[in-house]
Amino acid sequence: MFEFDVVIGLEVHVQLKTRSKIFCCCPTEFNSPVNTNICPVCCGYPGVLPVFNEKALDLGTRVGLALNCKINNRIYFERKNYFYPDLPKGYQISQYKRPLGEEGNLLLNSGKKIGITRVHLEEDAGKSIHKQDYSLVDLNRTGTPLLEIVSEPDISNPQEAFDYLTQLKLILQYIDASDCDMEKGFLRCDANISLKRKGETKLGTRVELKNMNSFKGVRDGLMHEVKRQKKVLEQGQKIAQETRLWDENKCITVVMRTKEEACDYRYFPEPDLLDFCISKERIEKEKKNVCELPLVKKERFLKDYKLPEKEIDIIISNRVLADFFESSCNEYDDIKKMTGFFLGPFLEQINLLGTIEAIKISPGNFAKIVRYFAQGKINNLSAKKVLSSAIATDKDIDELIASRGLVQVSGEDELFAFIKEAIDGNPKAVSEYKGGKQQAIMFLVGCVMKKTKGKANPKVVKEMLQKALCQ
Amino acid sequence: MKALSLTGLEIAQSIKKGEIAEDEVFSAFNQNIKDKNKKLNSFVDVYDQPLKSCATSSLKGVPIAVKDNICIKGKKITCASKILSNHIAVYDATVITKLKEAGLNIAGTANMDEFAFGSSTETSCYGVVRNPWNKDKVAGGSSGGSAASVGCRQVPLALGSDTGGSIRQPASLCGVVGFKPTYGRVSRYGLIAFGSSLDQIGPFSTNIIDCAHLLNVICGYDSKDSTSAKVETDDFTKALATIKKGTKVGIAKEYFAKGLNSEVKNAVEGVISVLKKKGACIVEISLPHTEYAVATYYIIASSEASANLQRFDGVRYGLREKRPNLIDMYSDTRKEGFGAEAKRRIFLGAHSLSSGYYDAYFLRALKVRRLIKEDFDKVFNEVDIILTPTSPTAAFNIGEKSEDPISMYLSDVYTISANLAGLPAVSLPCGFTKDNLPIGVQFIAKAFDESSLVSASFTYQQETNFHKRIPNV
Repeated sequence: MFEFDVVIGLEVHVQLKTRSKIFCCCPTEFNSPVNTNICPVCCGYPGVLPVFNEKALDLGTRVGLALNCKINNRIYFERKNYFYPDLPKGYQISQYKRPLGEEGNLLLNSGKKIGITRVHLEEDAGKSIHKQDYSLVDLNRTGTPLLEIVSEPDISNPQEAFDYLTQLKLILQYIDASDCDMEKGFLRCDANISLKRKGETKLGTRVELKNMNSFKGVRDGLMHEVKRQKKVLEQGQKIAQETRLWDENKCITVVMRTKEEACDYRYFPEPDLLDFCISKERIEKEKKNVCELPLVKKERFLKDYKLPEKEIDIIISNRVLADFFESSCNEYDDIKKMTGFFLGPFLEQINLLGTIEAIKISPGNFAKIVRYFAQGKINNLSAKKVLSSAIATDKDIDELIASRGLVQVSGEDELFAFIKEAIDGNPKAVSEYKGGKQQAIMFLVGCVMKKTKGKANPKVVKEMLQKALCQ
Repeated sequence: MKALSLTGLEIAQSIKKGEIAEDEVFSAFNQNIKDKNKKLNSFVDVYDQPLKSCATSSLKGVPIAVKDNICIKGKKITCASKILSNHIAVYDATVITKLKEAGLNIAGTANMDEFAFGSSTETSCYGVVRNPWNKDKVAGGSSGGSAASVGCRQVPLALGSDTGGSIRQPASLCGVVGFKPTYGRVSRYGLIAFGSSLDQIGPFSTNIIDCAHLLNVICGYDSKDSTSAKVETDDFTKALATIKKGTKVGIAKEYFAKGLNSEVKNAVEGVISVLKKKGACIVEISLPHTEYAVATYYIIASSEASANLQRFDGVRYGLREKRPNLIDMYSDTRKEGFGAEAKRRIFLGAHSLSSGYYDAYFLRALKVRRLIKEDFDKVFNEVDIILTPTSPTAAFNIGEKSEDPISMYLSDVYTISANLAGLPAVSLPCGFTKDNLPIGVQFIAKAFDESSLVSASFTYQQETNFHKRIPNV
């Protein structure tokens, strides 16, 4: 038995968040009826010419900078030639010899740095829909701007590939360059994997792995491929250089094409587009658009808020959330109360809304709710009620509390009648409590809360009940 | 009808004055086209109704032929290829929009070499175009239909495209004016691409005055073509004046070397004398990389063409040979749809770009292209225009070179360099052989200096009558 080192490199395609396609004016909307977001240009009609959407250049530059790449000050496009029904021109406009960015890196949560070989711009192809004895082509996606991000073979195991993708997705979302929704095809990943004997410097024969539909799929596919290659090598056989497909249902990888079947893409400079010079000002502008990246934010939050790492990970898992949390903490600095209410009721509300974009409440108003709750002005239940009314509207908090009469009742004088009513009306619970069943008092607290329509301060009610029942 | 013997500008002026009606002009030319087309085969499609708008210009109402590779919305545009024989254009090329906005009336589409691959219009799927001066001779190519149609006065004006001489060489062989503007002057949007870095649309006319007016219509920046140049569009009619005394005309010795027919040489030397008489100063120059131009051109143009033609795959438009599987559909569609010359260029281009050969062919060709361009840059520090023959010979026999691609390619030897360097160039009739075949002279200027070409041409045509001779079709 030998020990093997696993060597993995990933090629990720992300859809850049532009409103129109990369070489024509068609919208990039997802889920439009088939073949509606199309024009002669993206359908590759005879005589058409591409015109570069420079928004894609800006977003690509931003990603390059966020991944610490050197941005080339002059770039050009090349044609990648191959035949496929969903590739209308018979070539894809891509970048080859002079990509947008080179020599970058990405820092993992673990502290390991993964090299980024290159990032380059290209257009997406369409979608083939295979029926039983024919195929259909939907060209809506054709010409959508993509950024290909190629890593160095620095990834040492399938879990690390998973971590790399998680971190990459987070960065891309943070800098607002891509939505990275894998289900919608906004992020796709191919992997190159090879094994070598431990200590050996020469890389083994690599296999390209395709057709993984989730980060988990990437991890599972790679795990299977590690096992398969190990077995082949242990039997003294050689790994064939080939492209394999991950079959999620059967949990196996199968050969798609061998080295002999590999395409010669005959890249050459795209004569329909001129070279693009990327000015220093343009790069500087995009540098400003690269915000504080997730791991940097995490470090700072750990230091500033002294919360458990697990909680920080949740808070920074989305830039809007993290920024909201930070702004709220600036408004009200009881971090413990703030975190509790943020990770609890607030996230619950977001789940109900289904999207972070629906949040309209300002951090100031959110902080106010937490403060009122912490100070006892409103109770937990009311705080949740106020939040649910204000989260998607940013209504005035004080007005909401006043208009719905949610101010917590803590005064013993005001509560006395309710206490008495609860005791008088529930002799069974009273006797159970007196008989030693401690929880029975919560039933009585509940009665008071119900009678006061949730406004009573439950802590005060409980104390009053305890006092009354001791007598 | 009188209009048939007028120039384009004269027709427009007569219409404006109310001497003749626009519709009558159109139908007279329509009949004229049909009559002569039986003999020449210069048109693919003849339109019985004019495609016009109510806009106006100095050429309003003038009929014009359009090469079959420029898209006209709703019309059959085929590049004279079987693979596109059923293709209806879904949009107007920018130049077509401009023609319509200027009120010119498109009379039909002109025959051409398949996908503009050729110098004789023999590769058209519609059959060969015959030279109006001699039916046994070729009209040149690839814009042979456009050149012949103006040559025999089927129409006063035509548009062609020029990738390596495809406007100027047939203009020379048919005895008309053919003008290739600077690369980037005229939008390529809607021109079905051959060699994208070389292609340029340009006018055919019987005289330089019409040509200048038509240039005014078609030139200009277009945001739909990224290679179109953001430069001021000159009023080229202002250049319709005699050249300034002392205008420097360069004569490159490489263009008068072996292979040049003596009758052509004599005629071109006649042009030199005329310009000299009008005050031009003749300067001997050298363009040392000229001998590599043809090889360089065929590698670059074919490489670009091989990619440009990939879209003709039977999937979305054009010919489809139905087969049970995809690969057979692809290969049989392309096998059936493309002619021999198109296949030859696709092979040549794909080979030049393939891994292992790219550096030796395509990359090296790009380097030589730069050297050729630098030759011109240097020379244009010394001279205003360069004067050369357009083609080494007058029109050759139909079938004479069609089995010998190399000798066919060499008929573009004088025109190719202007495309490689992106320069404007014009061919004018400058004489006739003893067999009564037209001979052409070429002027080349620096980028965006079309005006110098217009002036030199105007000066020459004021002094001569070769452009007024009309063949008897």
